[in-house]
Amino acid sequence: MTTSSLILLLVIIAIITPSLIHSTPHPPINVWPKPTSISWLPNPNPNPNSSYLSLSLSPSFRIFPLFPIHLHPPLRRALYRYHRLLLRERHVPLLPPPTPPISPAPLSLLLLSVSSLSAPLHPGANESYLLSLPIPTHGAANLSANLSAATPWGAIRGLETLSQLATAVPGSGAGDGAVVVPAGVEIRDAPLHPHRGVVLDAARSYYPVCDVMRTVRAMAHNKLNVLHWHLSDAQAFPLSLPSEPNLARRGAYPTPFPATYSPRDVRRVLRFALSFAVRVVPEIDAPGHTGSWAGAYPDIVTCANKFWLPPGGPPLAAEPGTGQLNPLNPETYRVVRNVFRDVAALFPDPYIHAGADEVNAACWDDDPAVRRFIAAGGTHDQLLEIFVNATRPFIADTLNRTVVYWEDVLLGPNIKVGAAALPPETTVLQTWNNGPTNTKRLTAAGRYDWQDSDEPGHPFNYAGGNGGSWCAPFKTWQRIYDYDILHGLTDEEAGRVLGGEVALWSEQADGTVLDGRLWPRAAAMAEALWSGNRDETGKKRYAEATDRLNEWRHRMVQRGIRAEPIQPLWCVLHPGMCNLVQ
Amino acid sequence: MAKASLLSTLLFFLYPILSYSQTLPINVWPKPTNISWPVPTAAPLSPSFKIISPCADHSYLQSAVERFTSLLFSERYYPIVTPAVNLTTSRPLLSLTISVADLSVPLQHGADESYALSITSSTGLANLSAATAWGAMRGLETFSQLTWGADPPLVATDVYVADRPLFPHRGLMLDTARNYYPVADILRTIEAMGANKLNVFHWHLTDAQSFPIVLPTEPGLAEKGSYGTGMQYTPDDVKTVVEFGMSRGVRVMPEIDAPAHTGSWAGAHPDIVTCANMFWVPNGAADWPNRLAAEPGTGQLNPLKSETYDVFRNVAADVASLFPEQLYHAGADEVTPGCWKADSSIQAFLAAGGTLSQLLELFVSSTHSFVLSLNRTVVYWEDVLLDPVVRVNPALISPKNTILQTWNNGPNNTKLIVSAGYRAIVSSSDFYYLDCGHGDFVGNNSIYDSVGSDSDSDGGSWCGPFKTWQRIYDYDITYGLSEDEAKLVLGGEVALWSEQADSTVLDGRIWPRASAMAEALWSGNRDPAGRKRYAEATDRLNDWRHRMVGRGIRAEPIQPLWCRTRPGMCNTT
Repeated sequence: MTTSSLILLLVIIAIITPSLIHSTPHPPINVWPKPTSISWLPNPNPNPNSSYLSLSLSPSFRIFPLFPIHLHPPLRRALYRYHRLLLRERHVPLLPPPTPPISPAPLSLLLLSVSSLSAPLHPGANESYLLSLPIPTHGAANLSANLSAATPWGAIRGLETLSQLATAVPGSGAGDGAVVVPAGVEIRDAPLHPHRGVVLDAARSYYPVCDVMRTVRAMAHNKLNVLHWHLSDAQAFPLSLPSEPNLARRGAYPTPFPATYSPRDVRRVLRFALSFAVRVVPEIDAPGHTGSWAGAYPDIVTCANKFWLPPGGPPLAAEPGTGQLNPLNPETYRVVRNVFRDVAALFPDPYIHAGADEVNAACWDDDPAVRRFIAAGGTHDQLLEIFVNATRPFIADTLNRTVVYWEDVLLGPNIKVGAAALPPETTVLQTWNNGPTNTKRLTAAGRYDWQDSDEPGHPFNYAGGNGGSWCAPFKTWQRIYDYDILHGLTDEEAGRVLGGEVALWSEQADGTVLDGRLWPRAAAMAEALWSGNRDETGKKRYAEATDRLNEWRHRMVQRGIRAEPIQPLWCVLHPGMCNLVQ
Repeated sequence: MAKASLLSTLLFFLYPILSYSQTLPINVWPKPTNISWPVPTAAPLSPSFKIISPCADHSYLQSAVERFTSLLFSERYYPIVTPAVNLTTSRPLLSLTISVADLSVPLQHGADESYALSITSSTGLANLSAATAWGAMRGLETFSQLTWGADPPLVATDVYVADRPLFPHRGLMLDTARNYYPVADILRTIEAMGANKLNVFHWHLTDAQSFPIVLPTEPGLAEKGSYGTGMQYTPDDVKTVVEFGMSRGVRVMPEIDAPAHTGSWAGAHPDIVTCANMFWVPNGAADWPNRLAAEPGTGQLNPLKSETYDVFRNVAADVASLFPEQLYHAGADEVTPGCWKADSSIQAFLAAGGTLSQLLELFVSSTHSFVLSLNRTVVYWEDVLLDPVVRVNPALISPKNTILQTWNNGPNNTKLIVSAGYRAIVSSSDFYYLDCGHGDFVGNNSIYDSVGSDSDSDGGSWCGPFKTWQRIYDYDITYGLSEDEAKLVLGGEVALWSEQADSTVLDGRIWPRASAMAEALWSGNRDPAGRKRYAEATDRLNDWRHRMVGRGIRAEPIQPLWCRTRPGMCNTT
């Protein structure tokens, strides 16, 4: 046999062997959200019984950054957390798949490389990563895996993936109790949409900092990257601001605890979120939804403390809790600027959400100055425009932030401003009405948009069914999972959709029920926005997602997130038997 | 008992009745039938405050006394709105003295729960008199809810309560078979039930999906039918639950559902279960004639096998010895024709001219009489009488010893049941099912495919929409019945079926919605003028929910906190 034929033979083996290996199904990869691409490396020494191997995690397993980690404290904290999770979680799936034979050489190292260590956690930050777990070679005593990412934030996504690949081997026998990961797998992953968030309304009900942090952690486990923190509303103003301390002092819930977020609390949340690569976008809603400002500043709020449904008149607010900032009072702008200046100083995110939803004409009309303005031929649209023109440039230009508004500011239906007041370069609009129709209207108008559609999509203003809530029925995980946020858009329009957010408005939620309201339904959106809701053939993958989501919910519960069950345990233990079509 | 009734009657006349429209500074949930507090005052509880009980030999009442003594000082409940009361200048409250007319009355259906409570500032003494130990427990709960604050706690004074329930059966059904609940969850639920003056924990122990209860004579059922060794209820667990209920005046009624919903029996006894372990809609069509079960998890006991009855008798006898409760719930709901028809012996029976109803009659006549022989009254779901296809001749289930629990068609089926002479427990799925409106749990369902689909406009569950506390509160369970018929309605039960609930979300699914029923069945949902009192109930329920959370029950909020501090501002009129 000549050298060249030997080479030829090797090549042929290399081609044939993978197909032999892959004739047996590969071990399931239960990572939520499902990674974009998973490939299996050929095993050079296939075992006759199994083409696949597992790697046990060495008790001395280390994550080794190939760069000076001390330069990046958030990533260092992430490494510490994930290292601990990897070694301690010891997760056993509800339906443990057969563990492929465990390689004698344990995995003792994860080599981590990040190409751009200084990339900030900004909108559009690169979250891609490549994780490869080795195939053991003969004689190797120790094995190392590789994780490479463009940014620290992608590295954190990759660490989450690795943590979900790790399971403990149940039962008795060889390898009992070992923490294993699959061998010879390569995951290349990146999100479909850059903005994947959760709106938490901390004004209707206050959530203690530990609830907020647990939510951030659960978000990171689901590769969600934006906490949209709705920090003020008609009912309460929980955010303590150094320049305007009376807003929280007189506007936060008084009893029986200090229901406020101090600057220190905010910094704790931000520091925690940063180490999980979760941005925090603060929302200060104005000029509507500001009844709580009236405690400190009665003069700048119209129609404050009135009954919301005056007999014989139009409603003064979208829901109980009246009050709107008065655009004709110069004092309004002094306070608003102080507020946003403080908010910008506290929150480094390039986005500030400034609300502007549900502005109510009757509430403004309650004020004599407004009535005079209207009597002199002015309109409510002009009033809103005055407000937006006096506040938006301050946030955009002085504070150098992109301003996010709810769609109402442009689409009404009642009070709205002209498009000229909202330059697309520094404005993002968040849609919540009319499902895909409003998304189309916003993106066609050239505005960047993220989704927060209640119909047919996302928020969980919970009351379920036609159980008497304005946005009934309950949004099931399936409905959330199946919503295509780009439905009906052209490519150009779709290019303007940044992503989506599920929203929990807290009229009927607080810390007692938070986790079950959010999870696992937010996980459904997390996957749809990360890797999509369809399989390779374009078919929606909700059927196979059910089993995976059951396991993922189980794992979240083990991680301390009280996510609600989506099926009886029996269904998990009897795959396929709870389907409508087998 | 006669003595206590007389006492109550006297109290009704002696004390002026406060107008119901007036909101008291501190409230009791469920609202007592009669409460008089003409001048709201309060006194501190003396550090040496004692509950004096004449009944140290009544271990359940004694345990309640100890529990409440500790709760009064440890609860530290601060109402959202500080009660506007004058502190009495006289003296702290020194003691609460309990008297019970008949300590020997067992905790069973119809046990008198009436009590009268007076708290007098001038003497610093409070008195609680009750017909039974169980009534005394209700009175202790009321006393605890009239107490707030700490260091020292304050208690309402010069207040008089004369109280008794409208309905004797006020229950909560928990399904521990679709998903398992640890014993601690069950105990916490019963604790909350006692606080809401609910008195029957209906324990739906078994179903197609699992058989968690370990029975000494049939250990294989749990061994092969439970979700695992960590997810079983041992005889010791059951004893713990039953005893825990006893010291809170909560009866524990077991349900072993049969002949349908028995797929989990097939692990231990494959021969007695038809259609076990099959795909539930074999033709891919979910219409009823094709189904093998009402939902995933197939299997029905085979009435033609004598071994079926051997197993049933073992099970029922074990259950009766574990649970002292006089009512035995035997299920008998949703018998599915397709499942029996899948069995060859049944096919032969039907081919020979037999009917499905005859099969059920075979099963019921044998098992019903056996349960009676255990000195139990049998409770069935209404299906046994009202199912359009598979039902029994009423002659087989005498109204004398059979109670039917209704869940379909709202007031209509209640009427059908009582007009047939049966006593009824109302669990209308249109009002009292706590799991409804939360989507569907079956998988691979293409109704979610299209963006414009409104196929789940009811929340995607068969019994959607979600039952709000208001809907539960406003349901009149004797609606449309004659006076005589209404007497046959024993009461009601809210029900939590657990396809989409488990330990993680239990409290928020049940509370405070079960509290809504608790009040409606205790003192009604109307004021003395006959007007529904939901408006005034909202603030009180906000307070009660707040208090329950403080007691460790993770009840869901019904309004923003803002609403409670601004009375009336969140109303629609």
